Amino acid sequence: MKILVIEDETVLCETIVSYLEEEGYRCEQAGTLELGIEKVNLYEYDCMLVDIGLPDGSGLALIKELKMNHPETGIIIISAKNSLDDRISGLDLGADDYLTKPFHLPELNSRIKSLLRRRKFEGKQALVMDKITILPDSRLVMVNSEPLQLTKKEFDLLMFFVSNRGRVLTKEAIAEHLWGDFADSADSFDFVYSHIKNLRRKLAEKTNNDYFHNVYGSGYVFNTEVE
Amino acid sequence: MKLQSKINIRFLSVTFLVFVIAGVLFYFALGKVIDQNIREMLKSRKAYIILTLQQKSNSIDTIESPDQSIFIKRIIGGKEYSHFSDTLAYDQEEKELIPFRKMTFSIRSGANWYEVSILQSLLESEDFQMVIFYFMSGLFVLVLLSLFLLNHWLSASAWNPFFKSLSILNSWKIGENKAVSFDRTNITEFDQLNRTLESMMQKIQVDFVNLKEFTENASHEIQTPLAIIKSKLEQVLQDQTLSELQHLRIRAAFESAIRLSKLNEALLLLSKIENQQFVELSEVDFCHLIQSRVEYLEELFALKHIDVKVSLDEKVIFNMNPILAEILINNLLSNALRHNVIHGKVIVSSQNNAITISNSGKQAEVDVTRLFHRFVKQTTSSESTGLGLAIANEICKIYQLELKYSYSDEMHHLFLGKMQ
Repeated sequence: MKILVIEDETVLCETIVSYLEEEGYRCEQAGTLELGIEKVNLYEYDCMLVDIGLPDGSGLALIKELKMNHPETGIIIISAKNSLDDRISGLDLGADDYLTKPFHLPELNSRIKSLLRRRKFEGKQALVMDKITILPDSRLVMVNSEPLQLTKKEFDLLMFFVSNRGRVLTKEAIAEHLWGDFADSADSFDFVYSHIKNLRRKLAEKTNNDYFHNVYGSGYVFNTEVE
Repeated sequence: MKLQSKINIRFLSVTFLVFVIAGVLFYFALGKVIDQNIREMLKSRKAYIILTLQQKSNSIDTIESPDQSIFIKRIIGGKEYSHFSDTLAYDQEEKELIPFRKMTFSIRSGANWYEVSILQSLLESEDFQMVIFYFMSGLFVLVLLSLFLLNHWLSASAWNPFFKSLSILNSWKIGENKAVSFDRTNITEFDQLNRTLESMMQKIQVDFVNLKEFTENASHEIQTPLAIIKSKLEQVLQDQTLSELQHLRIRAAFESAIRLSKLNEALLLLSKIENQQFVELSEVDFCHLIQSRVEYLEELFALKHIDVKVSLDEKVIFNMNPILAEILINNLLSNALRHNVIHGKVIVSSQNNAITISNSGKQAEVDVTRLFHRFVKQTTSSESTGLGLAIANEICKIYQLELKYSYSDEMHHLFLGKMQ
């Protein structure tokens, strides 16, 4: 999978790229609109991350360009501007998702995965890990061919963990993924804890495995390979 | 008190005082002069009588008194005296008793002593005094009236530029980027005042814009480095070979970075609201909005065993930006959740196009009047930015909504309605 990251802030760009490369993506960087347009016209990408506020113009122009030449490429806008106008005009132009800076890297990762799943496999691809099978499109989870009943939040949580397999997910990132604006509401961490506890229990009952691993009380790792 | 009435009262009271004092003094002075005059008159008549007696060695009977104002009677005993007195006497013409000034003196004619009384009517002088009094009163009323009218006219014309400036000041809003200009008035003081105001307002405007720009730029520019700090720390936290101590130290830095980022986002939002960057308007059905938000929050409420009662029977619709409406409701509901107790309750109700959100909780330790100010926090907990209610209040302000807080029966109440 090839991803183009267009972000003028070099350090942030590198951080994103290194995180995504660890996930097994091939990434290319562009720091300006001009360079971005050049790359988009030369190569094909599976997904493009684009910052709206670039030094030599608006990233929205790039979306237009890309939509004309390679409409199959997934587009995620990353912008510091939390303004509705940008969001709407970006999505109107054909962007698939919108992330506001600052964001958690696992969140970006999860969005890219979900986007690629939708784009490449139209959501019909089943995710199989150990004894768990997930059908993202129909929001179904099967354990040993038996359906597992999960609440909406538990399913979202599981998807978030599955997308970031082997990664440490901080409580903050989890809360923000589940709650967005309400993430800073009081007790949302307790809430994260209780949801993970339930999900863990439900999965453990069916699989006899504990896939979740607590990291010094500050986050969790979901892993199906080790142990 | 109005400037005009104040000036009027001062003007009229001073005038009144001056007139009363002058009137009284004038009255007495006039009386004195008239009295003096009458005495002189009586004295000159006395001198005339004495002269008549001496020159012609006439008998006293020859002295004529055509107006019957001289009375002579013989007296016994020879002593010279002369005095004045007041008396009443019947007047033929007026047909009533009228006041007279009487001069009584003794005079010798040959061997006989006579007492002569000369009468002088005071009626004329009294009439004279009355005329003066009425005239003065009339004059007084006239002067008061003209002063009043003059003042009225003066305030309407001379003070007009002042009132104009005042109305300009009244309609001036600091956030509005409108150049303020005062008309030339031809009155030095007013022009001076207007010039001072103009430069002052310009200065305030510039300062305000600078400050706003600074806040916005600062918040905006901080976003990117913060994003880097956060993501770098998050990356380090991924390293599962870290020792617990290392992990927790980085975690503390990560938490602070997140807190800073939340604070910054809130400040940016505040300045955006203040700059009125949310222009889109629509009729927002608050009942629907609250219902959906409460459903969204249901699990969080359940976690604290909070009983949520939503009774939105009456429709509440405000014309505002839908995003801000959502932020407003989010903030108020988060607030009701955050400052609640375990097994507490939240009651949301609507009546008369207003919404009341009540939640159980301990009485606020912070100054209630400063509740909507920035960074007023119940605790120093990292969860709260202290900007939630400030943002809610700011949103309300731009749509002429009112946010009121009260505390009763161990419940906090937040009332949201149209500004009265």
